Amino acid sequence: MLEKLLILLFASNVLAQVCMPDAPEAYKVRLSIKTALGDQAYTWNDNELYLFRATLAFAMRNYLSGQLFDVSNILVCNETERVSFWFMVKSVTNPTTLIEKQHVENAIKESRHRINSAFLLTDQTLEFLGILPTLASPFVPATPPWLIAFGVVMGVVGAGIVYFLVAAVVQRKRKKTLDEEEEAKGATENEIAGENLDGIYNTSFSDDEKVTEM
Amino acid sequence: MEKGAARAEWDSPVQFILACVSYAVGLGNVWRFPYLCQMHGGGGFLIPYLLMLFLEGVPLFYLELAIGQKMRQGSIGAWTAISPYLGGVGLASVVTSLYLCLYYNIINGWSFWYLFHSFQAVLPWSTCPLSANRTEPLEECRVATPTQYFFYRETLNISPNIETNGGIHTGQALCLLLAWVMTYLFIVNGVKSTGKVVYFTATFPYIVLTVYLIRGVTLHGAVNGITYMFTPKMEELANPSTWINAATQIFFSLGLGFGSLIAFSSYNQYNNNFERQAIIVSLINSGTSIFASIVTFAVYGFKATVNYENCLDRLRLLLMNTFNLAEDVISQDNVLDWVEKLNTSYPLEFAQIADKVETCDLTKELSTAVEGTGLAFIVYSEAITNMPLSQLWSVLYFFMLLLLGMGSMLGNVTAIITPIKDFKMFSGISEELLNGVVCIFCLLLGLGFTTPSGNYWFTMFNDYGATFSLLFIVLIEVVTVSYIYGIKRFSKDIEDMLGHPPNWYWKIMWGGVSPLLLIALLIFYIINYIRGGTPTYQAWNQELGQAVVTEYPVFGQVFIALLIVSSVSCVPMTALYAYCRRRRPSATAVYT
Repeated sequence: MLEKLLILLFASNVLAQVCMPDAPEAYKVRLSIKTALGDQAYTWNDNELYLFRATLAFAMRNYLSGQLFDVSNILVCNETERVSFWFMVKSVTNPTTLIEKQHVENAIKESRHRINSAFLLTDQTLEFLGILPTLASPFVPATPPWLIAFGVVMGVVGAGIVYFLVAAVVQRKRKKTLDEEEEAKGATENEIAGENLDGIYNTSFSDDEKVTEM
Repeated sequence: MEKGAARAEWDSPVQFILACVSYAVGLGNVWRFPYLCQMHGGGGFLIPYLLMLFLEGVPLFYLELAIGQKMRQGSIGAWTAISPYLGGVGLASVVTSLYLCLYYNIINGWSFWYLFHSFQAVLPWSTCPLSANRTEPLEECRVATPTQYFFYRETLNISPNIETNGGIHTGQALCLLLAWVMTYLFIVNGVKSTGKVVYFTATFPYIVLTVYLIRGVTLHGAVNGITYMFTPKMEELANPSTWINAATQIFFSLGLGFGSLIAFSSYNQYNNNFERQAIIVSLINSGTSIFASIVTFAVYGFKATVNYENCLDRLRLLLMNTFNLAEDVISQDNVLDWVEKLNTSYPLEFAQIADKVETCDLTKELSTAVEGTGLAFIVYSEAITNMPLSQLWSVLYFFMLLLLGMGSMLGNVTAIITPIKDFKMFSGISEELLNGVVCIFCLLLGLGFTTPSGNYWFTMFNDYGATFSLLFIVLIEVVTVSYIYGIKRFSKDIEDMLGHPPNWYWKIMWGGVSPLLLIALLIFYIINYIRGGTPTYQAWNQELGQAVVTEYPVFGQVFIALLIVSSVSCVPMTALYAYCRRRRPSATAVYT
């Protein structure tokens, strides 16, 4: 009897420690090291995996302050060539239970940037499937920059118009005073009012033949 | 005693040529011709294009220049002088030019908007704004592309259809105001100021085009686009719409029928050699079209190649993630082989991701032809975001668009103002005041295009405001000069101005070929219109993230009819008016 109990206890202990893909508390991680780093990519090996487990433990410590997570609390399984694997987090206080998904997610979200930096990756190249990255919102300055450019151009064009209008008015005034002076002097040139001074060439008086035959 | 005011003149014939080039070389050369080239067999399209240039383009251009230079008046006065019953042709030109002025400056407003938005660290049309919880881009932007989102949502704030409307978009209104203020600055002193401005507006676009050509052909994948364009598909020549499109393109590209050419040449010296100038300007215009399409296709090729490679990349990622393969096993070159391999070895798993597997096709990317505002503001701006130093290229490109558009605007506005000034009634008003009133009037009416449904009205004006009317106007013009005024009389006038009569080529074109071509085009337009059923437009659907073909509502169709009728009816109505006046013995001529 006692042996059966012992076997059951041992079995449940072991079960709780076995990481399984698609388990309710497990997350899948995918790394795209070559895409991110190109020539300077490092090879993924057990040491890198150890670093990962350590960073996750760090994230969990930050989130659940007081609980001292260790590398042994992070279980990893189903590693592939792609460099993807599943992981689960064991609780510190109760080694047989696993931390729920929500807590793991929050912990990772908090320390995402640190986790990424540890591996020289980004949110897109170090993926935690199911945890959406919080995208950085674009910087919005106080005055839209286009208004500044607009104001500059509008100012220049407006100044140009004012200049031309004033120049036209001044020129007209000057012409008027010149005209008045001429009238006072009494213009004697033959000027036909309101006619086109060039005259229009009246073709009916010209010969059809440009060259008159002798 | 009052001095008679001599008619203003260009400072030199060079100014006149540059003004005509600036007017004729416009946005259509950049965004319509490359599209037609692609649609109708690439290099082969040049054959009908050049043929039409010599059959109708150059002769009609010559005709309009001759009329303007001879009559020395704007379009209304010139046509009334040719035949008092046909002053309506000039009036129709003015009405059509007015419609054009109203909607054309909106494009310049958009160019300003994009130009000003290029002065930012990250081009605003390269990324999507984020949704409220900052986990993903806004839905409309995700479904469409960032460039489409920026154009339809942030630039236009477009409504789902033409019936829905809203308030004026302040940014657009400001840019339109700036466009009109700048137009006013360029024409404020009439030909004196226009003549100086065209030195810049006519030449600078070529500098930008050359720079872009160098940049374009050095882009990755540009050669794909250029070879695609220049590979002639001769079977397209058998398609009648190729010839029709070539004829219409030459026609509209040269800006015939608006009265701008008559207005410009009315400021010429009487003996100016416009024959040579007509040929030069027409050839420059067509040459620019071909030049611009090389640039466009280089950029197309680049964009298509980038899209194709992105598609391959996405496929590669999908395969790697599903089948947990190492990163360097699949590369862009062998991804398609891997698709085959995995399909045969793991059919079950492959079937699961089958709907996510996209077919990446470079030819399909290249053949997505776009024209008009879609090309200029969406496709091109997308290509620019992928170039290094994208802010610089963006500024250059939109500045060039602005110059092309402004140059054409000069002609459009001059076409309205010159005939108005010729009226004795308005000759007392100062030039600056008259120009200002016209600009303000067009600005106020143009504000309607900055509302959410404004882009749909813009498309309506663009498609119907000046197409049929122009064909009609130019047909009447050429028939009037050839048969009512008489080719003999016209030849004498030209001999008077140039010193030699026009040779047989011109006379055959004016008398026979061009009128026949124009009648054929008119008939084709009418048949197409009738066969096409209810006129439709492309409405932007927010949920789908793409344009959807929608029918115009009744008031839209009525307005289209109004647009066409209002300009075309000027001809018969003025003829009737002149006839009635002639009948009354006390009739005095309005035009001196």
